[in-house]
Amino acid sequence: MSRSPIDVSSGRAPGGDDVLLSVDNLDVTFGSGSGAVHAVRGVSYEVRRGETLGIVGESGSGKSVTSLAVMGLLPKNAQATGSVRFRDAELLGTKDKPMSAVRGKKIAMIFQDPMTSLDPVFKVGQQITETLRVHDKDLSRSAAKARAIELLEIVGIPNADSRADNYPHEFSGGMRQRVVIAIAMANNPDVIIADEPTTALDVTVQATVLEAIKAAQHETGAALVLITHDLGVIAGLADRVLVMYAGRAVEIGAVDDVFYRPRMPYSVGLLNSLPRLDVEGRERLTPIIGTPPSLQQLPPGCPFAPRCPMRIAECSLAEPALVRVDGHSAHWAACIRSGELAGKDRYQAGNVFDTTGGDSQLPAEVGAAALTDDAGGYDASPLAAAQPSQPQSPDVMRPIDPPPADPPLADPLPADPTLADPTKREESR
Amino acid sequence: MSAATIGEPVATASGEPVLKVTDLRKYFPIRSRILKRTVGNVRAVDGVSFEVRPGETLGLVGESGCGKSTTGRAVLNLQPATSGSVIFEGRELTGLSRRQMRPIRRNIQLVFQDPYASLDPRMQVERIIAEPLVIHGVASGAELRRRVRELMSLVGLNPEHVSRYPHEFSGGQRQRIGIARSLALEPRMLILDEPVSALDVSIQAGVINLLDDLRARLGLSYLFIAHDLSVVRHISDRVAVMYLGKIVETAPTLELFRRPAHPYTQALLSAIPLPDPQRERRRKRILLEGDLPSPANPPSGCRFRTRCFKFAMLNESQKSKCVEEEPLAEPRDVGHPTACHYAEVQPIL
Repeated sequence: MSRSPIDVSSGRAPGGDDVLLSVDNLDVTFGSGSGAVHAVRGVSYEVRRGETLGIVGESGSGKSVTSLAVMGLLPKNAQATGSVRFRDAELLGTKDKPMSAVRGKKIAMIFQDPMTSLDPVFKVGQQITETLRVHDKDLSRSAAKARAIELLEIVGIPNADSRADNYPHEFSGGMRQRVVIAIAMANNPDVIIADEPTTALDVTVQATVLEAIKAAQHETGAALVLITHDLGVIAGLADRVLVMYAGRAVEIGAVDDVFYRPRMPYSVGLLNSLPRLDVEGRERLTPIIGTPPSLQQLPPGCPFAPRCPMRIAECSLAEPALVRVDGHSAHWAACIRSGELAGKDRYQAGNVFDTTGGDSQLPAEVGAAALTDDAGGYDASPLAAAQPSQPQSPDVMRPIDPPPADPPLADPLPADPTLADPTKREESR
Repeated sequence: MSAATIGEPVATASGEPVLKVTDLRKYFPIRSRILKRTVGNVRAVDGVSFEVRPGETLGLVGESGCGKSTTGRAVLNLQPATSGSVIFEGRELTGLSRRQMRPIRRNIQLVFQDPYASLDPRMQVERIIAEPLVIHGVASGAELRRRVRELMSLVGLNPEHVSRYPHEFSGGQRQRIGIARSLALEPRMLILDEPVSALDVSIQAGVINLLDDLRARLGLSYLFIAHDLSVVRHISDRVAVMYLGKIVETAPTLELFRRPAHPYTQALLSAIPLPDPQRERRRKRILLEGDLPSPANPPSGCRFRTRCFKFAMLNESQKSKCVEEEPLAEPRDVGHPTACHYAEVQPIL
């Protein structure tokens, strides 16, 4: 794939100096031939010193694979193309040995499950000193130990000097994750990549771990790439957000722009599917019907089109590129109809979605399925809700054209092998 | 879009409770290695009382290890309670044998968390949903097939997909199959154990809408067990908060979210990340110190005191009350049952 000007600039924040990590047109494919899974498709972003970039997306959107590619941790059957630059050094394709000098020193990573990132047979203090001494051969044992205790204190572990001599199993889940954070910040990295760092944790523990991550970022001044499916966590920590869907960046912008003025229907749907805590009434939620497409067999055109309530015939012609929205220099969305959402806030934009409780059909299927007899049908099914007469809101945006019943989209579910793919499981919290 | 006010019990939620749980306890014995003598107990559920009225949803929230799932299982007698009483529609369930429980299970059903583990991968959906109908001898032949299709439509699935296997469905659709199965015998009450926590948010919303619709349509009562407070707030009429085997605070949903009085509830609410960047940046969080104590050896007096931010600010004589005397769930000055000697309303959200 060639570098298009849009792809390069889309991830760039205004005043793009001080860029530490830049990912450009990253493509990752697993396997080959007809079974190839195209997990990441042309993702570009940049992060600067002290900045936090949130990457959000659902299971299988490619958000974790993107970060594994950055760290050079992809399995052998994966091919990555594009470019990952740390300062001026190209990381993609770098051999494991030179990569090891960067990994853990310049770029550190925090994984979801702290028990698998810590070695159960070593004391946590040793694991931190190991990280320190691997990258700094001149550091004495005692100095490393002192630094390890200091790091444990920064991430909020009480009695750090005695706790350093404990094994990982003697810590609770939240404490273990704090040890992992201490290891990540040990060498004052320039970039910290945190992949679902609090997903396995309870909400009160999550709050303390997020504080520890903030402390680590504050201490090191590192750029933080925070990958999560939790929009609330992104809202609290991120400066900018990148929304991923089917291996692609579909919206990118400042956190306030994306959260209050989303311009890609997928981000709109995601934000509106959350129960609101700020209204007292019990509002219907707006789910996104259907499942993400298989990365082995993508639908033609926009990958979100089969689930999109704003879908028109044109959507299946070509995959939309990221374009500037609202005349904003740093807010980009990949939707040919994003202009029609202009001026709407996130809840107004959310009116394009139905508040159905059913899950038998995708919007794209409705046209074809309307002919079938569905007498015992569920009363709030998308079938009923997709009728133009359905009152919902005066500014409801409906597809201009009735969804065409073109064969590849008419019945995407039966042909969808993702459903049989165990790696596509929804994340458990 | 129908908008019932949260906290206001739905019209039918009155009269005799469908489910009344009193002082329920479930202990798991700890046995010594060699002689297998009982050397202690894990007090997973330690004196829990609540009731669910007809047509009402009671949310039971708490973090991992607080005993909320064990409570659900003990109510259904899947794990016999150590002591206490569970009265469902006027009948005592504790102490009943499996055979005696069978007719009662027609009326009170459980929906499991993991839609991947709770469906037999070798059974077609038709057989999965038909199984309870067959076991209870409710329907057979053409009637059975008709009922299965009807149930699939009811939960928003395409009835043409009856001959598919679970792996051909997405997580949200599988959870719907689980719900269809539990509704097959037309129960009056569902115990939902984290029914949406394994699902992606966009899928979650559809299942929650479905549960809302089914309750209104079939007049069901729910015991909704979950850790996600925003989901619980959305679906429940009343909420009970659990900590280390005990209920620390119970209140109508809106009341609990507006006027939390127990320090643990306050910490829990303050920890919810809101998908609202501006509010999130302004928020001050109550951070709890330390870890959850072992339920085999809970702290004396108030179980939350070891992590309580309020306890830390009390003077010695006030502290001794927390250490020596177990706070009971009483209305106190706050208007709803709160198990804290120094309960005080503090708005968080």
